[in-house]
Amino acid sequence: MRFLSLVSQHRVVIILGLTLVISALLVPGYLSASTLGLGLDRAATIGLIAVGLTVLLISGQIDLSGGAVFALAGIVSVILQREIGILPAAIVGILVGTLAGAINGMLVVGLKVNSLVLTLATMLIFRSLAHWITNSQPVTGTDIMLSLALAKIYLDVFTLRSVLFIALIVLLHFWLTRTIPGRNVFAVGSNPAAAKESGIASDRIVFLGFVFAGTLAGLAGVLQSLVTNTGSPVFGSELTVAVIAAVVVGGTRLEGGKGSALGTLGGVLTIGSLTIAMEFQSVPAYVQQVVSGLILILLVVLDRAVTTKGRASGTRPALVRDNPITQGGTT
Amino acid sequence: MEIGGVNRNDRFTRGSRLVDVLSKAGLAFAIVAVMLYGSLVSPAFFTSGNLLNVLTSMSIVGIVVVGMTFVLVVGGLADLSVPATIACGAILSLGLQPMIGPLPAFLLAVGLAGLIGLLNGGLVGYVGINPIIATLGVGTIGLGIVQAAVGGVIVYGSNPASAEFAKGRLFGIPVVVLIFLVIALVGHFVLSRSFWGRWTLATGGNYSAAEASAVPVRAVKAGAFVITALASGISGGLLGLTLQSARPLIGGGYEFSAITAVVVGGVSIVGGFGSVPRAIAGLIFVQLLTNVMVLDGVRTPIQGFLLGILIVGAVGMDAALRKRGVA
Repeated sequence: MRFLSLVSQHRVVIILGLTLVISALLVPGYLSASTLGLGLDRAATIGLIAVGLTVLLISGQIDLSGGAVFALAGIVSVILQREIGILPAAIVGILVGTLAGAINGMLVVGLKVNSLVLTLATMLIFRSLAHWITNSQPVTGTDIMLSLALAKIYLDVFTLRSVLFIALIVLLHFWLTRTIPGRNVFAVGSNPAAAKESGIASDRIVFLGFVFAGTLAGLAGVLQSLVTNTGSPVFGSELTVAVIAAVVVGGTRLEGGKGSALGTLGGVLTIGSLTIAMEFQSVPAYVQQVVSGLILILLVVLDRAVTTKGRASGTRPALVRDNPITQGGTT
Repeated sequence: MEIGGVNRNDRFTRGSRLVDVLSKAGLAFAIVAVMLYGSLVSPAFFTSGNLLNVLTSMSIVGIVVVGMTFVLVVGGLADLSVPATIACGAILSLGLQPMIGPLPAFLLAVGLAGLIGLLNGGLVGYVGINPIIATLGVGTIGLGIVQAAVGGVIVYGSNPASAEFAKGRLFGIPVVVLIFLVIALVGHFVLSRSFWGRWTLATGGNYSAAEASAVPVRAVKAGAFVITALASGISGGLLGLTLQSARPLIGGGYEFSAITAVVVGGVSIVGGFGSVPRAIAGLIFVQLLTNVMVLDGVRTPIQGFLLGILIVGAVGMDAALRKRGVA
């Protein structure tokens, strides 16, 4: 058990290191700046959504609709380009993400339902909306040159997206570890009842968490659509598992109350470098799915194995407490 | 709690009976309303051809619904690996035909789907992982493996006799519908009349109390996922045999159709309450609604949109009723 918990604590470093070493051995030229830059850019899409999900998971909730919001925001930002110009369209796209997050948050807080089930339903709603607006056809933007400008690589490694992602991770790190609202998120996630008794507005924090997650999913979608100059209703459907896997690799617990921004950075980099390595070896997409699914399941099981047992009932975080499965699960 | 026990009990039962009547009659009313609307807007609605079509497509989803009812009642939230188990059933029951013959292929496909369910059940019931995360992960893995097994391509049937059987009729009723009815009946009796059903309801209603009463809660919880996987395997196999082709994404969307039906039927999302007939009533309502929308020319995305809203509405109502302690 002690060994397992040690592995669990430092797993981000271990897993990321292993991934890089194995990839470097198997893929020629893997450790070059341009390959790593490509991996980082790829990881940034997952990463932006993962930043939002990290906050939500720490507060004891989850959002499965991120991939659908990603597609919807991208489509809106592309469709509106002809009407109101590129920059306003992009802003509206991000706001669509914010709105989607607000809807999720309002329904979860207002109806007091399990966020897993609720965001599953809103995922269907947002995805259908994306198909509805576009007639299930991909849409293209007006300015092809913009996508080239956005995909420009600085210092051999960084793109706009990856810089934005890293900046957000740093900000999130300071917010979570150094500020009072950041600490409150942990309080709400680890013990909502106690948090409420201590005068923390749990509902508001959960609501804002959803808004934050929606906004970032929207931002990721808008950037993706601008870089590819395309909006498609099927974008992001395979992201859900990858994003959750990235956050869980980073040590954030599905049960809430535990997690870190730097961990998520590690998790996202792991998933990104894995993806790039597999693409370089032309591993088919479905095998990549198997890998990210396996990582997710193995780590969740590992978490479960080292989890501290015997918390008093009623003091569990929302996702566990509202979830009959985990009630008294391990004792 | 301070209110006198009798008084509270009285209110409790009265509320419960009221909700019971409302939810049953409400759904029946909704079904009749949809049928009336359908016959008004489209002359094609009340033709035997259309109703038979609805019945057939309903049966394929319905087999999954029977299993999903167990998952929800036992408190398993939802099984998101259904697309993978359906694909497993469809692809393997067609792909293995040339090698081992149609019936063994079908049985093997269902068996392997059951294996996916066993993995789900083990993770949820014994390891204690959140069911949505577990089934999402296992589904992704399962679908990937099935795709890898056939090289990610579409598989076609090679045995006309089995196709004839699956598309055929017995006493004028499509075979698929008959199979669905048998599975629904068995599911209903298991859930409402057998010890396994009582255990399922007890585990979903109060996990700790059920455990203290020597109910094998972990096995019961795991069992619900195995039942769903077997049901989806059968459903996928039948789907493959009727279509005579199976692509890896053949089962996409079935998980939502099944969850919608069960939730709309009034089965509680937190477990401990529900029955197969209720879920099937929900299924009939949703399927008729979808059919009327199709006949009315409503596009597929809008149908998905409305299904999503139906789930939110049903889940919200369930939560509201629970809060007032009447459901």
